[in-house]
Amino acid sequence: MSQTLYDKYGGFASVSRIVMEFYDRILDSESVGDYFENADMKRLIDHQTKFIAYLLGGPADYTGDRLEQLHAHLKIKGADFDEMKEILEGTLTDHGVEEADCAAVMAEVEARRGLIVNPG
Amino acid sequence: MSIEAINEQLLRAIGAGVALVDPDSLEIRFHNETFSEWFDEAKMGARLSDLLEDLDLATLRRGIEENGRYDSEATLRRKRRRVVVALRFTRTELGLILLEGQNITRIRELETMIETYSAMVERNTREIEREKERVEKLLLSIMPRNVYEEYKAFGVVTPQSYDPVTVLSIELVDFDVKARDLSASVLVSEINDIFASFDRIGEQFNCERIKTVGDAYVAVCGLPEPIDNHAASAVGAAVRFIRYLSRRAESHDMSWQCRVGLASGPVIGSVVGVQRYVYDVFGPAVNIARSLRSLADPMEIVGGNLELDQIGDEVTILEEAPSFHDGAVPVRTCRLVST
Repeated sequence: MSQTLYDKYGGFASVSRIVMEFYDRILDSESVGDYFENADMKRLIDHQTKFIAYLLGGPADYTGDRLEQLHAHLKIKGADFDEMKEILEGTLTDHGVEEADCAAVMAEVEARRGLIVNPG
Repeated sequence: MSIEAINEQLLRAIGAGVALVDPDSLEIRFHNETFSEWFDEAKMGARLSDLLEDLDLATLRRGIEENGRYDSEATLRRKRRRVVVALRFTRTELGLILLEGQNITRIRELETMIETYSAMVERNTREIEREKERVEKLLLSIMPRNVYEEYKAFGVVTPQSYDPVTVLSIELVDFDVKARDLSASVLVSEINDIFASFDRIGEQFNCERIKTVGDAYVAVCGLPEPIDNHAASAVGAAVRFIRYLSRRAESHDMSWQCRVGLASGPVIGSVVGVQRYVYDVFGPAVNIARSLRSLADPMEIVGGNLELDQIGDEVTILEEAPSFHDGAVPVRTCRLVST
């Protein structure tokens, strides 16, 4: 069985740091932070833990439907999705994720653009 | 610099939020910078009830009075973040209440993350357990339990000799003709129904099904646990296979008949294959049973090297027995019909 990125980068012990850092960075972001103005901390962390674990091939099962349902009401613009991608990429790079792995994760995120972006 | 001034500077510098509260008026008499960062309105003389709207003042007073201490928690809104502060009120020797606050936001966030992660892992564990049960069930359907246990523990199975056992080899009459005429789904459904019934009957007679190959069904009696009356048990099962097919024909559109070959002797049981493995049995008894079944008439049993004195009155031993040699060795054959 091939090793997932989740295992390669140290499982939950490492991924938890990526999640917390990503969470901090998006809350601090001037452009996308407002989307989370009234977000419930528990739900946000729950969502991000699952999402990042899922992207890295960890023990999370995230369907496209669920992703779409969670983001539908936020009316996310394409530019904000790009910003979120940039933040995630920066977070992964800063946590030692290799360039090729990072590109693979970003391609996975990009593949879900249609489920998340919904300018209304 | 006086000791008091140093103390005050230290209090101002530490990461914890600290305040001194008047026990009667519950007004702030002192606070450090961290405390004022949390509470914008925190000024000297501000009332606790204004800063912490959810704080239960009566419970606080009672806690201080009875235990000298009271713990609480406050959630504050700072920009987009919800800051959670653990508060501890302690009565001091000077009579003032010391209020210490620790920012536990990160702890709460991590707790939430761990909760999510645990739920994910637990769900995965349940799925793995279910998967394991499915695999176990599948493996148990192709090998005896003790062989499976050995395979699970060591990853390999040592070939085992079983002596003596009785091998049952059964084929359905005119299967090829029916297979041509029937649709695949009907054919498979019929075979499934018949072989599942054979399994149930065989289980009652200590017969372990080894494999099916097309319309052929092979089982062994006396494996993995040796039994004394393996020949009688095998005959008992064979008779009931035949009776089952007779009764089935009365209530089903399609009628099936079978031929049964039985042979007593030694066999070797082992898992064969690396990538695609099966449990199989080998030995003269297996070959003899297979050959004898083709000598049987429909709904008849032909046995080889059976201990006839074991066999009860469920079958009649016909006088005429087919002649059969295993290589150069003659096989003691008998022809049996259900009574």
